[in-house]
Amino acid sequence: MASSYLAAAPVVRRVRGYFAAVNRGGGTPVLFDPAEMGGFSLNSPPAPWISLGWIQGFTRKAGSKTAPVLTGIPAVVLEQTRETLDAQVGFQFLSWTKLTMALATGSQHMNLLAPATGAAASADGGTGLAAKVVLTGATATFLPLAAADAAAFTAGQTVVVDVDYTGQTGFVGTPVSGAYVKTALTDVDYVRRVSFNVAMVASVATTGLAGLTLADALPGGAPVTVTSGMKVQAIEGFVDREGGSFFQEWSALFVMEGAQGERIFFHYPRLQSLGSAAEGSNLLAGKSGSTLARVLLEGAYRALPVTDPLDGERVVCYRSFLPAKSALV
Amino acid sequence: MQNAKDSFYVALRTRLVEINPERTILLRSAVRPGILVEEAEGPFAQLPADVFVLRWPGLAVEQDLPSAMVAEECEVLYSTLGTQSFGGLDRGRALTEMDVELTEMLSPYWTPKLNYRATPAAAMLTNVFWDVPVFGAVTAVRDRLSRVARVVVYSYAEAGEAG
Repeated sequence: MASSYLAAAPVVRRVRGYFAAVNRGGGTPVLFDPAEMGGFSLNSPPAPWISLGWIQGFTRKAGSKTAPVLTGIPAVVLEQTRETLDAQVGFQFLSWTKLTMALATGSQHMNLLAPATGAAASADGGTGLAAKVVLTGATATFLPLAAADAAAFTAGQTVVVDVDYTGQTGFVGTPVSGAYVKTALTDVDYVRRVSFNVAMVASVATTGLAGLTLADALPGGAPVTVTSGMKVQAIEGFVDREGGSFFQEWSALFVMEGAQGERIFFHYPRLQSLGSAAEGSNLLAGKSGSTLARVLLEGAYRALPVTDPLDGERVVCYRSFLPAKSALV
Repeated sequence: MQNAKDSFYVALRTRLVEINPERTILLRSAVRPGILVEEAEGPFAQLPADVFVLRWPGLAVEQDLPSAMVAEECEVLYSTLGTQSFGGLDRGRALTEMDVELTEMLSPYWTPKLNYRATPAAAMLTNVFWDVPVFGAVTAVRDRLSRVARVVVYSYAEAGEAG
């Protein structure tokens, strides 16, 4: 019985994407260590990575350019230099969620606050119902509220949890910076409008320990309550706009798993939206004259550089390969 | 998958009762709306005329989505000999009537998914939906006119859903 084999090129069927928030204020991306984390279950990535689900049409395009340094007569190439460093990534999301919509748009992505009675109409959602204070003891999946406040919510609603806007400028939003405020605004709900910290309410308790149990963990984890003043507000959906000056930025990880268990990772510490919001579609049953089409969010991104602390080189992407067990390398 | 098939059948049956309550079949000593699922009845030597018969020949599953999407091909078979009072000369009209009824039964192109293993049937979280029907050519065997319409029925697998 042989103890090793000559492995052919990996055979993969699909690509999975993962997201992690970049600390925009500090300019700090999330780094993925394939040696330490590479064996993770694709359904439960290591924190703080969040699954974006399977994606399709994954393409990478390196835009880096090299130039020859010539010498002599006739000129010959003495050496090469790297003139520019650039890379782009494109793919289609197979689901519409807060996260995938936000990443697939080129600008701020906002939550449509559940409107207050008599609120004036607005293209990106008018004045919302009053936000409720999250009490101490909150976790990523349970928000303790005063009983009367809890009664204002219903199971199945989507809610956003974030702080009041109090005139701050710069990046706002927890845990992802959802917008950059250049000059102070007056909307107390602005941070909750742009926040990524959303989840669906699974159940509401108005007696005993009153509060909201969430169907999914909040992306921002357990809200820090008393000191930060986290509040919860119901939302109806999401809206984004063509225009604006803000670019979403995130740390990205793409995984291809081969048929023999080998894995290829593409890690982009910093990706920024390249284009505007766009959709593609594919027919559910192309061969039989189907009229049903799935609408897919198109994502296009430019990779921004980080400085690798190993040797000080500036890079935009890491490609890693973890060979299959017993495969000769 | 079975919940989607059941929900599709019951939706069509309910709609047929509204569209044409006269279309019925006497089956196992009971008068029922004139639509049945072939695999849920005893074998037929010849499919009954003037009723819709559902058959499920094709299946595909798309697993890359957040919830697996199941596509089940449904064949709706129907035939007629016309009426005795017209000596079968109205069989073309009778088939057209069934074409129209099927078209109306299929609209709207979705229905809530229910679990019919429970009594009463329990509402699930998603809808079953389907594409426009593709009508096959009419076939004539002696005085019997038949047609097969194909509909692809889509549903999402829900967590903990058996079958």
